[in-house]
Amino acid sequence: MNLKIIWMDFIYSIKAWYRSKGGMFWSLAFPVILILLFGAIFSGIGSSKYTLYVQDKDQTEMSRMFNETLNGTKLFNINIVKADVNATAFIKEKNIKSLIVIPEGFQQTIQESLTNPSSRVDLQFYFDPSEQTTTQVIRSVISSILQEMNKNLSKSRTIIGVQEISTITENFNFIDFFLPGMIGFTIMQGAIYGSIERNTKYRKDGILRKLLTTPITRTEWILAKMLFMMFLAALTTALITIIGILVFGMTVNISAWVIIIIIATSFLFSGMGMLIGRFVKEEETADTAAGAISFPMMFLAGTFFPLEQMPGFLQTIAHVLPLYYVNEALRNSMIYLNQNESFLNGVVVIIFAAVFFISGVLLTKWKED
Amino acid sequence: MIEQRFKCPNCGQIASFYGNPGEHLVVTCSACHLKGRLTIPLAEQDNGHAIEVSHLKKVYGDLIAVDDISFSVKNGEIFAFLGPNGAGKTTTVEMIESIRQPTAGSIQLLGKDIKKQFTDVKEKIGILPQEFHSFERLTVRETLVYFSNLYKKKADVDTIIQSLDLTSHKNMLYRNLSGGLKQRVGVAISLVNDPEIIFLDEPTTGLDPKARREVWSVIAGLRKKGKTVFLTTHYMEEAEFLADHIAVIFKGKIIAEGTLEDLIRNYGKSSIMHIKKCVNAPEVIEMLKQEGYDEVSSEGNGDIAIKIDYKERVLDILSHLKHDCIEYESLDIRRSNLEEVFLRLTGSKLTEDTA
Repeated sequence: MNLKIIWMDFIYSIKAWYRSKGGMFWSLAFPVILILLFGAIFSGIGSSKYTLYVQDKDQTEMSRMFNETLNGTKLFNINIVKADVNATAFIKEKNIKSLIVIPEGFQQTIQESLTNPSSRVDLQFYFDPSEQTTTQVIRSVISSILQEMNKNLSKSRTIIGVQEISTITENFNFIDFFLPGMIGFTIMQGAIYGSIERNTKYRKDGILRKLLTTPITRTEWILAKMLFMMFLAALTTALITIIGILVFGMTVNISAWVIIIIIATSFLFSGMGMLIGRFVKEEETADTAAGAISFPMMFLAGTFFPLEQMPGFLQTIAHVLPLYYVNEALRNSMIYLNQNESFLNGVVVIIFAAVFFISGVLLTKWKED
Repeated sequence: MIEQRFKCPNCGQIASFYGNPGEHLVVTCSACHLKGRLTIPLAEQDNGHAIEVSHLKKVYGDLIAVDDISFSVKNGEIFAFLGPNGAGKTTTVEMIESIRQPTAGSIQLLGKDIKKQFTDVKEKIGILPQEFHSFERLTVRETLVYFSNLYKKKADVDTIIQSLDLTSHKNMLYRNLSGGLKQRVGVAISLVNDPEIIFLDEPTTGLDPKARREVWSVIAGLRKKGKTVFLTTHYMEEAEFLADHIAVIFKGKIIAEGTLEDLIRNYGKSSIMHIKKCVNAPEVIEMLKQEGYDEVSSEGNGDIAIKIDYKERVLDILSHLKHDCIEYESLDIRRSNLEEVFLRLTGSKLTEDTA
């Protein structure tokens, strides 16, 4: 292994990339534009029905009336949670995004309020901050129902309020969800298309044949290119993160684990690019094939929109897409600080990376038949 | 570059000189300033052959792309592998370059079996693959430095740039170069490790005549430096202009081999002398026939064609014309060429549609 050759190839790759307007645009400008655009203009694009869990601990006339009013809006698929279930544990266990708890003594407090001006009862609304659209819709529906009820009970004060409890400790919004997705997506695009260029254009141009007759080994070449891919990935991650922090005031956690996921992601999609280039040898066709694979993956893997908003069968598909695990691993580690969840998803990313990269290296070759 | 120690015959001073195998140097003794000529010996090869190919075969399914061919290339010569597209030229050269795996046969480069020792040979060969395009966004100089850094042995990049007349383009991006310049850079890349053998696969295909001539002059310059050049081409004029030795390949087989003179002598027609607009052409024809020129014919309009078997007969005819005060407008002698050789050997022309 000649480290000098690897380093030299890496430096020349950066030079060539720096001179490519297209390369610069897709690796740096495009993700920045998307982040700024989506961050600024995002407005709810949701399904017509949202899943809402309701736990009625009161089990009275009034609590049932509230339930029926919610149902009457026809906006929700309402699932009833048994009264004796621990709400926090249930949310965690079932990965619930939205839950309303009608507390015990709901009816009693309302009745008391007629004589006692200080009486007040709060519904508990557990929500997942990353599901911004869903949360927003539920919040406004509850708010309008309660406004109506409060108006009927007292003209001047709030008797029934809402206590919002995030299922995650912090308050998140769409950009928090979107930023890690954008990092994963940009690394994927760079790695797949870079890899395809090396395996189709360089083959057509005779560069691979030329290299085969020089002392550089295929391992040295691949390592040099992976070093370059990691450089690009690091640059992309840094840039997107800085925009998130400076423009959107985000708190982003960059840890060694995040770096490992990013490295694994570079290997994963470089391997995928090698495989595409192996089976589709024409450069243009390979680019189209890459687009046909990466674009749907981008949408289906929860890069821009939470999986919750997609039909069930699409959610099932998402679970076989490598990018989904990249998104989840990054999101949980960088934003939600849910390291256990990130670790599980990250391990899947590493397994995917090993499978794709090793098969890519084994199935592609420089030699001609 | 190899070192040659030399003892001055005048003063006995011993000095070292450096050059490529086969290169002729004019040297001056550092002590007595005596000038002399010195030839750098051909290094390492014991039989004078840079390339030896024996019973080489490549089969793809039912297609025999290269059919049991054998040849050898001497050190310091330009060897042209001439044939139409699809004849098996690139398949052969790529087997020699270890890019393709032969079905059968053996290949030795610089005395080493490439099956076992290709890694050792890599440092000593330079290759320009067919239809080669280098990294688009590196400059000419960066491209050469990049490839040069892959080798232990390095030639001076700036000297290569200068010798291939690329100085004014050295800071241009490869993608912005013309086709001819790109091919020149391709040749330059093949020289970055100061190789002993250079393989150029169709180096002028697709170039205009001017660019083609430029590349030819570069290749001719390599011979002067003592390099062995293996050239594949389907341009017969390229082989005629450049090659010391030509092998004609057709449908995977070598059908003729030798120097240009050998091939023309063995497979071409004799030279033909044309006398244009000759006064009294019928009488002149009759006179020449009486002098023993059997193949004399009228081409109409006073034009006469005479077959010339050997060069002395040209002077003979000229003296007859002068002696009999015969008037004519012009006279030329057309030598048989490789195109005719190829036509005679294969029954088809050496053009693209032969493939």
